[in-house]
Amino acid sequence: MSSRKKVLLKVIILGDSGVGKTSLMNQYVNKKFSTSYKATIGADFLTKEVTVDDRIVTMQLWDTAGQERFQSLGVAFYRGADCCVLVYDVNTPKSFETLDSWRDEFLIQASPRDPESFPFVVLGNKVDVGDDRRAISTKRAMTYCQSRSGIPYFEVSAKDNTNVEQAFEVVARNALAMEEQEEYGGGFEDPIDISLDNERDGCAC
Amino acid sequence: MTASNVQTASGDPPSPSASFYDLSDDEEGDYNTIAHSRSERGVKLLFSKSKVYVHPTPSAKDNISGFIALIQQKPTQEPADTSPSRLNVSGSRTVSSSSYLLAWVPERSLAQDDLNSYVKVDMSDNASPPKQTYLVPPLPTATISDESSIGTYAFALALSNIYSLLIRPPSVGWWYGSVVINTRSGSSLPALFFHDAECESTILQKRKRARDSFDPFGEDGLFWGGDEVLRWLKRYVKVVRSAADPGVYLVDPSEEDRIGFGQPRTSAELQRPETKEQKAPEPRKPASNQSGPGMDPLTKALKETRWKILEQLSKVTTFTRRTAQDIADNPKLPPQVRRLLHNPEVQTLQDEFDSARLYLARWAMGIAEQSEREKNQRIWTAKDVLEMEESSVGEFEILDMEAGRMSLGGDQKRKAVGMKEWTSFFNAKTGKLQVTVGEVKERIFHGGLDPEDGVRKEAWLFLLGVYDWSSDREERASLLNCKRDEFIRLKGAWWERMVEGDAEPEEEEWWKEQKGRIEKDVHRTDRHIPLFAGEDIPHPDPSSPFYVSGGNGTNVHLEQLKDVLLTYLEYDKPSTSSRTNVSNPHPQNLGYVQGMSDLLAPIYAVMQDDAIAFWAFVGFMRRMSRNFVRDQSGMRTQLTTLDQLVQLLDPKLYLHLQSADSTNFFFFFRMLLVWYKREFEWVDILRLWEGLWTDYLSSQFHLFIAVAILEKHRDVIMGHLKHFDEVLKYVNELSGTIDLPSTLVRAEGLFRRFEKTVEAVDRKSHFPGPAGAASSMRQRRVMEGKGKNPSTEATAAPASGSSSAAAATLPRNAGTSGSNGTRTGGTVGTGSAVTTGHHAGGAGAGTEKEQVISPELRALLSRKVVVLDDEAHDADDHGAAAASGSAAGTSR
Repeated sequence: MSSRKKVLLKVIILGDSGVGKTSLMNQYVNKKFSTSYKATIGADFLTKEVTVDDRIVTMQLWDTAGQERFQSLGVAFYRGADCCVLVYDVNTPKSFETLDSWRDEFLIQASPRDPESFPFVVLGNKVDVGDDRRAISTKRAMTYCQSRSGIPYFEVSAKDNTNVEQAFEVVARNALAMEEQEEYGGGFEDPIDISLDNERDGCAC
Repeated sequence: MTASNVQTASGDPPSPSASFYDLSDDEEGDYNTIAHSRSERGVKLLFSKSKVYVHPTPSAKDNISGFIALIQQKPTQEPADTSPSRLNVSGSRTVSSSSYLLAWVPERSLAQDDLNSYVKVDMSDNASPPKQTYLVPPLPTATISDESSIGTYAFALALSNIYSLLIRPPSVGWWYGSVVINTRSGSSLPALFFHDAECESTILQKRKRARDSFDPFGEDGLFWGGDEVLRWLKRYVKVVRSAADPGVYLVDPSEEDRIGFGQPRTSAELQRPETKEQKAPEPRKPASNQSGPGMDPLTKALKETRWKILEQLSKVTTFTRRTAQDIADNPKLPPQVRRLLHNPEVQTLQDEFDSARLYLARWAMGIAEQSEREKNQRIWTAKDVLEMEESSVGEFEILDMEAGRMSLGGDQKRKAVGMKEWTSFFNAKTGKLQVTVGEVKERIFHGGLDPEDGVRKEAWLFLLGVYDWSSDREERASLLNCKRDEFIRLKGAWWERMVEGDAEPEEEEWWKEQKGRIEKDVHRTDRHIPLFAGEDIPHPDPSSPFYVSGGNGTNVHLEQLKDVLLTYLEYDKPSTSSRTNVSNPHPQNLGYVQGMSDLLAPIYAVMQDDAIAFWAFVGFMRRMSRNFVRDQSGMRTQLTTLDQLVQLLDPKLYLHLQSADSTNFFFFFRMLLVWYKREFEWVDILRLWEGLWTDYLSSQFHLFIAVAILEKHRDVIMGHLKHFDEVLKYVNELSGTIDLPSTLVRAEGLFRRFEKTVEAVDRKSHFPGPAGAASSMRQRRVMEGKGKNPSTEATAAPASGSSSAAAATLPRNAGTSGSNGTRTGGTVGTGSAVTTGHHAGGAGAGTEKEQVISPELRALLSRKVVVLDDEAHDADDHGAAAASGSAAGTSR
């Protein structure tokens, strides 16, 4: 039997309360949609095995409470993330406007090695609701994502399972790239100065 | 033989006698007599199962969800077409089995009442048909013709017309189990697919089997919905599994067919109607029966590659690799299970599937519990105790025994307080309490309140501080009037500002946002409770996402929940130059925070009066608001206290959690934030909360509940969970599995143990120095007083001490200057923070020299409700509590 070295990709899902984080995760992992999810309190995660370019990897998707009041707790599980999924509701302008603060908060708390290149994916959820309620146009969202060093953007519906699979495939792919980079480049909490990168064994203390 | 079969099949006892008839739980016979005198409006529903689908096309979108059911029609309605059946063995049999129909009906074709009947029968404990008779309309076809089945797929087929069943259990690559019915006229009905994961009754049955049985795979592979159908059928007809093709089950086969499908292997395979078994109580399945010689269920299961399914059962795949040894070494496991786990095939599996290990861990836990229960039925002997003490889990076994003793003879003590008893607490004339508050609280703490008779409506208002315990009836009535007026005033205030627009734009924006949040959460709070389930009125706000144009999107109770929450925000707003808040001297300005709707819903549901529910909620929020403050300091304090409590009570577990990087205790966040609302069923929550509201032992008894839950699972946690994410997942998934009564008993035992430990530590640290002696004395006196007379709302330990606390310095929680803790003399200046690992813990794990009790821990001995700082500051003249952590105040 071949070596079963496991790759675990840690993905954090963030966004305002009620945008559909729990629903998206459940649609993707369990292929189920329910209107009766309760507001998430604390944090939970689901895992899913996926194949990325013939590699089997395990994605660990972290679902969190959406209210900003609980964000100070994020540090307990943001660390070690390989990708961050930012979700907003295309029918709620406020949830789009807060994307930046979610992103900033994540970068502060997770403190990845290279914040500039850390992979994010933006999902505009609830596109099934219909045009008459839609508040954020595709164009506006695309422009935003392009201006943030080209974050991949998907319009999805957890309810209809529109684009969910495709979006998370990109999440998996980008997370794997990140993980591989981390493997060579060292972990999050590595205290070493960047210039010493290549000889990191020298002073790990 | 045939004749006797006929009789059993029709439900008549083989040798009728009055006494036997009376004892029989099988009521089909009764039905016959009733039915004859009735009009022909319905058929009797004996069994049903939901989420059985027809898949008309390859697309899952076209799946039709329905019920499979066994129904009984009047035996006189013999279908005309029984004669052509090829296997008409005897006329009489046809009569009996033709009065039972196997049916499938699409969910959407059912009227609400009928749907309810189907659901009720499905959910009834269906070892036998429900005692109550459920009549449903007869289904369109008594027999099936291929043409008529195409339209709706609904059918009802007499058992006498069923030739065979083709049964495929769920398995890999064929995810749903299916049943195909072949009729005696030679046609096949569309396959019925059992979506077991959606079917509540199957899930429950599975769970029950997992609990009751030592064999996780059932007698014959994993239990699934189709097993149930077979079981129903076997009550009424003979079902024989074909030896030639094990997927084929023949119904009442002729001799010739039986041979044609291969001789049955043993006579045991000849399934007879189970009349005997019905009368016996549900057989309990001790381990030995299940995993006896010759049928090692694990090995059997392996062959059928069911581990794929196991993997689905538990999605954690991040377990570090471990050997089967660890699970197998759990001392609580019965030997036969341990042997199973040593099976090399099982060991290989565990290496391959990380999740198999978690599954096995859970399973082992269930078994350990089971054997616990059995053990507890024995009388304890000294030998047992000694053996326990020697084992690694000894201490906690003893704890359980202590707890067991506490519950022994406590039947009376743990009986719910009903309206009658409650009324007897009060003077009939004046309505004044005529027993001590402590006595009342003791009763409610141990027994809870009767859920049915409305006593909660009254008693909760006392527990939540709306009524004063010393008030009389008249005072309460007038208080209620005032409170109603005040509620209306507060509600009017935000209403005016929002609806009539007389607010600053900024303010208006804030209220709009708050309203949006509340809206979102209320619509997803406890919607499974009938009170909140309906959507029978139009949503008042067209801009709401829950607005349905031209339809109903809400109900009056949801709307009232929203109003009460908004009114609470108004109540919680600080005074401004333009407006003074006269209702609330200590506003926190929290705004709406997620979790508040969870706290309100039960109170509202009990009161069902918005004004009264509001004031009861205000009372609850006095103690809960620290959970919602912006900087989360209240939650952090509680998690820290929990950390220290576990250190003190179970150092070994603590060290393990430390090694798993889990001493932030974040996995208890949800439980502490909304007081276990998400972990227990609704009825249990009401019982738990009213107990906690009494503050009978401690105002923070909820933390002892947390330790009780942790202790219950300590072996699994210590044996198998190595990382924070594993611990978090495991604890999150306890939701819905925790037994409340035993948890309460255990928590009480833990509290007693805590009390004793504190006493012991105090005594130890006090003895040497004369300075300490005095305060030690004082300490003990307070505690004694408390033990004897709970009614004096004892100031207990955290009274503003005569000197500063000498307790451990907690780096995270700068509670050092606080004088909240009683001085524990003799330790000042020794820098006695006991360290167990890298936290400077409150009280150490019994390892280091000087041990003291931290202020946080000592506060657990107090019955004073911990509220936010500001209020404490005002309430306590000495300002004793104000200096310590943000949530260490006192009052009331």
